[in-house]
Amino acid sequence: MSNRKLDLEKLLALESRDALRQALRQTALPTLPQIQRLIDHAAGLAPAMQELRLGIVHSYTSELLDPWLYLAGALEGLDVKTYHAPYGLNLEEADARSSLVAHSAHITLMLLRREDLHPDLARPVVALSPDEQANLSPQALDRLFVIIKAFRAQRVGHLVVTILPEQRGPALGVYDPQSERSEGAWWSALKAGIGRRLRIGVEASMFVDLDEVLAQIGREAFFDPRLWYSAQFPFAAGAAREVSRRVVGLGAALRFPKAKVIALDADNTLWGGIIGEDGLDGIALGHEYPGNAYMAFQRRLLDFQQRGFILTLCSKNNRADVDQVLNGHPHQVLKPEHFAAIRVNWEPKTDNLVALAEELNLGVDSFIFVDDSDYECALVRRELPEVEVIQTPSRPVEIPYCLDQVSRLELLSLTAEDLKKTEMYAQEGLRRQQRQKAEGTGGLESYLASLEMVMTVGIDDPAPLRRLSQLTQKTNQFNLTTRRYDELHMRRLIGASNWMVGHFSLKDVFGDSGIVGLALFELSESAVAELDTFLMSCRVIGRKAESAFLNVLLKRLVATGVREVLADYLPTPKNGLVTTFLPDHGFAVGPDRRFRRDLITTPPLPDAAYPMAIELTAEPSAVRVVEMVDDIAVISYPI
Amino acid sequence: MDLFEKIQYVIATTLKVSPDKITRETSDTDLAAWDSLAHVNLMMSLEQIFDLFLEVEDFPKLTSVPAILEYLREQGKG
Repeated sequence: MSNRKLDLEKLLALESRDALRQALRQTALPTLPQIQRLIDHAAGLAPAMQELRLGIVHSYTSELLDPWLYLAGALEGLDVKTYHAPYGLNLEEADARSSLVAHSAHITLMLLRREDLHPDLARPVVALSPDEQANLSPQALDRLFVIIKAFRAQRVGHLVVTILPEQRGPALGVYDPQSERSEGAWWSALKAGIGRRLRIGVEASMFVDLDEVLAQIGREAFFDPRLWYSAQFPFAAGAAREVSRRVVGLGAALRFPKAKVIALDADNTLWGGIIGEDGLDGIALGHEYPGNAYMAFQRRLLDFQQRGFILTLCSKNNRADVDQVLNGHPHQVLKPEHFAAIRVNWEPKTDNLVALAEELNLGVDSFIFVDDSDYECALVRRELPEVEVIQTPSRPVEIPYCLDQVSRLELLSLTAEDLKKTEMYAQEGLRRQQRQKAEGTGGLESYLASLEMVMTVGIDDPAPLRRLSQLTQKTNQFNLTTRRYDELHMRRLIGASNWMVGHFSLKDVFGDSGIVGLALFELSESAVAELDTFLMSCRVIGRKAESAFLNVLLKRLVATGVREVLADYLPTPKNGLVTTFLPDHGFAVGPDRRFRRDLITTPPLPDAAYPMAIELTAEPSAVRVVEMVDDIAVISYPI
Repeated sequence: MDLFEKIQYVIATTLKVSPDKITRETSDTDLAAWDSLAHVNLMMSLEQIFDLFLEVEDFPKLTSVPAILEYLREQGKG
């Protein structure tokens, strides 16, 4: 798809980075002088660039990636600052006094080669018997994880691990997949082992599979043997661009507000043609071109739903026409239940996006808007610049892939809550209906009682570590202090004897919210506890859960001898929702502008004061085996 | 733009130095920015701008403006 001539002047006339990224995807590779001009142009566009500090540990030449990293950064609005560690994989950089640590990287990229994992990997794996191959895997993994953990122990930001693919095809050629000594099979199993160990045992880290880049652009386009044999730099321009885009893309996912919602236009986006004019039989959607491209796109959208993004519909149409397709078209993939919210009307799309955000209790900056119309895209870019706009390509064959390179649709982690998100938002819709019904009869009290809520509170439990860290990263509205903690930091707090880390989940007749609330207390020796963080996902708002949760934790503090709680409200443009949370819960503001609650004069209430059953999960033991990986117990323990 | 000016532009943008630092006599030893890694980038830029395919054997020969000028003329580019 990237074979159209690059028209530099046309690109330099584009005024949004979204549009520039999409246009560049469809052209030939830029030359280095062109890259420089594109960087200068993209850097000058609004909003202002943010810094992305990138540390690079490498066992092959990495400096030649710089122009591509800077370009990928400028296209995302990131001013990339690289630090390349000395050539070679030495653990000296994994030291608190190293130049790498001094770079205070947001991301540390490890560019490794297979033989870094084990000297035997410099020779053909097929020369080893199946038994020898089986022994090699854990050895290679152990060696790799010694390296990874040495770096992870330092403040080097998010760790991104890569291993350079083989430049040659398998030793056994086309026969490889049939062989019991298959190199391909051995390598795939090793990668699965890397992924498993990272997921279970190493926080804030990920494996970016360069074989995936190889599959995308092809081995011959990936390697430039001239650069490899003369300068130990493996990447041809196409690979340099794609590797850089993926790494910097993770930076965008890390640095920018989290994307949560994909807001989709209908006509010429989900199907070809206009339902109001072409009718149910006239739109392009089915097994033949171009309808098959639209079906493929809808199928692709289900993948994004599996990543935890929620789908919404935002279309200028008659609702009845669109419903006809959603419910009655034989080839429509996305059914009404796939959408967490729907706005089909003739109002401006900007109004509808704001309304969708309100309905879902999310900020518009968590929206990615997909539409084919020049007018709508330009309008949203101008009126709602915090919404990322993806214009559906005009050629139907390109539509199925139009979201594949959107960085904020990449995940840094995946939790059980992410997988069920649309379902949870749909349940929220049912609750709203129930509430409207109750308002006619017994009001809020009877509505809350009819939900039959059960709150489960966990204390100092490391099991949901990833989710707890994610909550601090993602929660902007119901958040007293908006402090962000990575997984490493969160694990320390959970393990620390002078911190209390509480979380809760909430079940009701419609479903289970998963873990939606977090509170961090720092305990001092003087019977005073300080509320460092108190946050809650907005999808459980309005059910008194926040009050019940705080009360449970305060009761626990009282039981350990705490007499006073100190708290702060740190206002941001987004957390106006909690302005009165502290005063509403018995806290009085002092002359130092801090809030205090005396637990002797204003003690916690009995659980019965709240419209839900409250359960405490069992206390986790201090040291626990989380999972067996390759016969090695991965032990999770407080640091 | 004559051939020298084009080369001057390519070297300046690739090595990120001011064009006036590059004369008809400049070689890699005159410019700190023209180190061995920058040289690889420069080779790639010359390929792309002049639509050439450079052999690895040519890389170490093309370390000065006169050498690049001569090479491009031989290739019928100037």
